[in-house]
Parts: sequence; structure tokens; C-alpha cells
Amino acid sequence: MNAPASAPKATALASPVPAGPQGSVQARPPTPRPDFIKVESARKVYATGRDTVEAVSDVSFSVTRGEFVAILGPSGCGKSTLLMMCAGLESITSGRIGIDSMPMTGPRESIGVMFQDSTLLPWKSVLENILFPVRIMRRPVRDYMDRARSLLAMTGLTGFEHKKPHQLSGGMRQRAAICRALVTDPDILLMDEPFSALDAMTRDEMNEALLGIWDRQPKTALFVTHSIREAVLLADRVLVMTRRPATVVEDLRIPFPRPRDPSIGESEEFNRLVRHLRGLIERGPRGAGAPPAMAATP
Amino acid sequence: MSETALALPVAAPARRGWRVGEWGWAIGLPVGFTLVLLALWQAAADLSGIPTVLLPSPLAVLRRAAEVWPELLDNARYTGLEAVLSFLIASLLGVAVAAALSASERLREALYPNLVLFQLIPKIALAPLFVLWLGIGSASRLTFAVFVSFFPVAIATLAGLASADGNALRLCRSLNARGWQTFLAVRVPYSLPFLFSGLKVAATMAFIGVVVGEFISARAGLGYYILFASSRADTPGILAAIGMLCLLGLALYGLIALGEQAARRWWRGG
Repeated sequence: MNAPASAPKATALASPVPAGPQGSVQARPPTPRPDFIKVESARKVYATGRDTVEAVSDVSFSVTRGEFVAILGPSGCGKSTLLMMCAGLESITSGRIGIDSMPMTGPRESIGVMFQDSTLLPWKSVLENILFPVRIMRRPVRDYMDRARSLLAMTGLTGFEHKKPHQLSGGMRQRAAICRALVTDPDILLMDEPFSALDAMTRDEMNEALLGIWDRQPKTALFVTHSIREAVLLADRVLVMTRRPATVVEDLRIPFPRPRDPSIGESEEFNRLVRHLRGLIERGPRGAGAPPAMAATP
Repeated sequence: MSETALALPVAAPARRGWRVGEWGWAIGLPVGFTLVLLALWQAAADLSGIPTVLLPSPLAVLRRAAEVWPELLDNARYTGLEAVLSFLIASLLGVAVAAALSASERLREALYPNLVLFQLIPKIALAPLFVLWLGIGSASRLTFAVFVSFFPVAIATLAGLASADGNALRLCRSLNARGWQTFLAVRVPYSLPFLFSGLKVAATMAFIGVVVGEFISARAGLGYYILFASSRADTPGILAAIGMLCLLGLALYGLIALGEQAARRWWRGG
């Protein structure tokens, strides 16, 4: 279960900031497959009566195995729709999404999804909620008991396994939701603004918790957020989406090595990245011409 | 509380001289109200000189109930048994129909409007039909009582099954849950509060159905007893039988409420 704590490839640092303070010591397991998640010209059009709304227009990017990618954008830019398409929960109007070189046709067991709401079943205990995916997938629960308990320990929920969701704070509920998403050890974790309903302090706490979990359980992740700082703190790469057109306008590599500490948020480098991203979101891509079809770094 | 704290009046917790507790009020108030009402009734009957046939006093009703107690009990057994039986059948049927409608959208589209329409028919008016179809025995009363108490269960349960949290349903979809898994793991638990409110209505309807059936055709049961007593102008007897019906209804309602509480404890847990 415990893969070695891994750092992102510290070599590819084609970002507007210099490389992180310390080079990565530990390389990823050899030959990471280049395109674990591959999104090609994905479009999503909703028909509402006579009108059609283009929720996602021509988005392309790819994610390598083990990468943590944040999709950042203002509300209504289609980033959640894009994520749900990757989860197989929304159909794709045109284009292609492939995961592990298999085209997406529907939800998969190898993908864990986390929603904005913790979506815990109110009548089940925390432990039972965490084991819910195991039961739905009709796997033997006893095989997953140890993993569930170690996830609980990792997220600081030990001692709360027999509490009901309403007895937990919002942050604890969301941590239980992380455990649930990880319990079957999926290859990919998709998170749809998982902390946006939390207050600022709990949110900082959750970001720190997620960083800690990532050091111990690195997974390929797509993380949708509208918080710039959250994206920079958590992700190896940040994709910026704009509202019109609802597409990715920037693919920014975040050079900070892992394990990361939330204190990097005070560094000059961090804030430069944040300013750069904020500029993109507020003013749109400058000088980039047409939105890049493939993930191109500026 | 620290003794050294500045004695701010705001910080003092509200204290009562005597504590009644939530349950004390919840039980004491309605019971007290009923007792007051009965006392007023007693006084009105005693002082106004209205004849007992028109307005028997509560004590007269009690006296009558004591006189005919074995007869009342015997009739109550018939009515109670038939009502409980038809309640059970109606509940099972209602839940089954709701489950089927919830599972199939086509079925729901076809049947739901009809179900609602049927609900609007004053079903009491159909009672004679059942006698015509099924004769004057238990079967017609049972069927009629099932018929009137089935709708509230079906409609409430269907609403409950549809009330499942959209996020929870999406979670199930993301886990590739089968339809029946989602149904049992998410829809059914979410439907429970609705189901119980439907059951409570159905319990009342089952008694109404059986008593109406007994009005039309019966040689036993509290409905029959009421008709019989009214033919003899035995108003205290009628009221005693009605009191008996209230007790029976209360017992069934109480059982359902207990079940509801158990379900709620399971939901919210401790």
C-alpha cells in the first residue's frame, strides 16, 4: 500500500519561475506512461430548449501517471463538467477521453470520485460509509478493513469510525469522503471542488491533509477548484479554464518538490505563480493567440 | 463556572423552580386538555338536562362500556383483526407497487397519473360495489379496506423513493452500482420517513374501510355494533364502541410510531 513518497519530475520546469529550491532526489518508478489520461478535443454541448450551451469547448490535455493536475477556473467555466466527463458521469458530445489508453464509456472502478458535498449516507457509520464502494463492487469487506482503518488513521479520523456523519464537522466529513474515494485503491482520483463548501481555516487544514495523503498514497489526480492558491499548493500542473470559450488556456507546471509544506504559500515564487494565474483568469490569455489545442506551456 | 468571573447577568443559565422535561409537556398537555374537555362535557350533560339519548355524559358512556364490555371486546376483535390484516396487505401491496413504479420509468408514466386520479375518487362510495362483487363476508370488507388504505402507502413510498439525495445517486453511478444496489442501499433508506407517514395514514384508512364495510354488511364487529346500538337508540353504547375504535386505532398507530422511532434511531444513531 505504501508506495515511496514521490516527487514530481523536477526536470520539466518550463514555467515562468525558476526551479524549486531543492532538486528532486527520488525519481518516479521507471518509464511512466506518458498519457494516462488523454483528453482530445472534448466538447460538451447541452441543449436547453431551442438554445444550445457549450459547457466545454474543445479541451485537450493529457496527464501522466502519478501526476496531480488542478483544473482552475471561474465558476461556470465548465471545469466540473469536464471532470464529470472524465469520470464517465457525463457523456461527451464530441472528441475523445481515454484513460489508460481505453476510451471512456462510463464510470470505472479504477476511478475514485470526490464531490463538492461529502455525500456520506447519513444512516451509515463513518467506517461503513468508507466501505460503501467495497460493498457496491461486491468485494470481500474483510480484505479492505485494514486499508480502511489505515486511511482513517491517515486522515485523523481514528476513534470516529462508529460515529454517524451528522456527528462530524464539515472537514471531518470531507476527510471521510477522501477515505471512501481511496479505499478501493483506484488508479485515479477525480475531485470536484471537494473543499469549496468548507470555511477558510478548515480548507487550509484539508489542503495540508491532502498533501500528506499524497505523499503516502500518490495517485493520478484531477482536482477541480476555483481557488488559485489551492491549485498552486496542491498540483504538479495547473490547467486554467476560461468561461468563453470554455476551454483550457494555460497549462502551468508547478515546480515545488514534494513532500510539500503549506508554508511554501508564503514564498515569493508561489505568489508569483498565483499572480500569473490570477492575471490569466481576470484578463484572459495574453499574447497566446488562439487557445492552445494541446497543453502548451507559456 | 468560575466563581471569580464578573457576575454578568447574561451568563446566568435560565433556571426553573421545577422541571417538567420535554416528555412531561408532550404527554401532559394533550392529556390535560382532553381531561378538561371531558369534564366540561360531563358538566354540560349533567347541568343542561339534555336527554342521555342525545348527549350521554362521559360517565354514562363508561358505565355502558362496563356493562357491555364482553360484547364490545368480542366485536373489537373482529374489527381489529380485519383492520390490521388489511393494513398489512395494503402496506405490502403499496410498497411493492411503489418499488415497481420507481424501477420502471415507463410503468411510472403509465400508472402514476391513474394512481393520483384514483386517489381523488371518494372511495367510500365504492363500498357497495365490493359487497356486490365479493358478497357480504369478510372478503369484501378486507378487500375494501385494503383498497382504501393502499393508496397512501403507495404514493408516499413512491415519493420517498424519488426523494433520494441526487449526490448519493451520482456516487452510486460513479461506483457502477447496479440498479438494485442503488435501490436497496440508497433509495430505500431515503424513503423510510415517507413510508412511515404513509403507513400512519393507511392505519386510519384501514379502520375506516373495515367499519364502513361493517356498516353495509356484517354480523359482527364494532361497525355492526354501532348500527345495532343506534337501532336501539343506545347512544352511550355507540360512543363506547367509538371509544373502543379509538383505542384500537391508537394501538396500531402506536406500533407504527415505534417502528418509525426505531428507523430514526437507525438513521441518526447515537
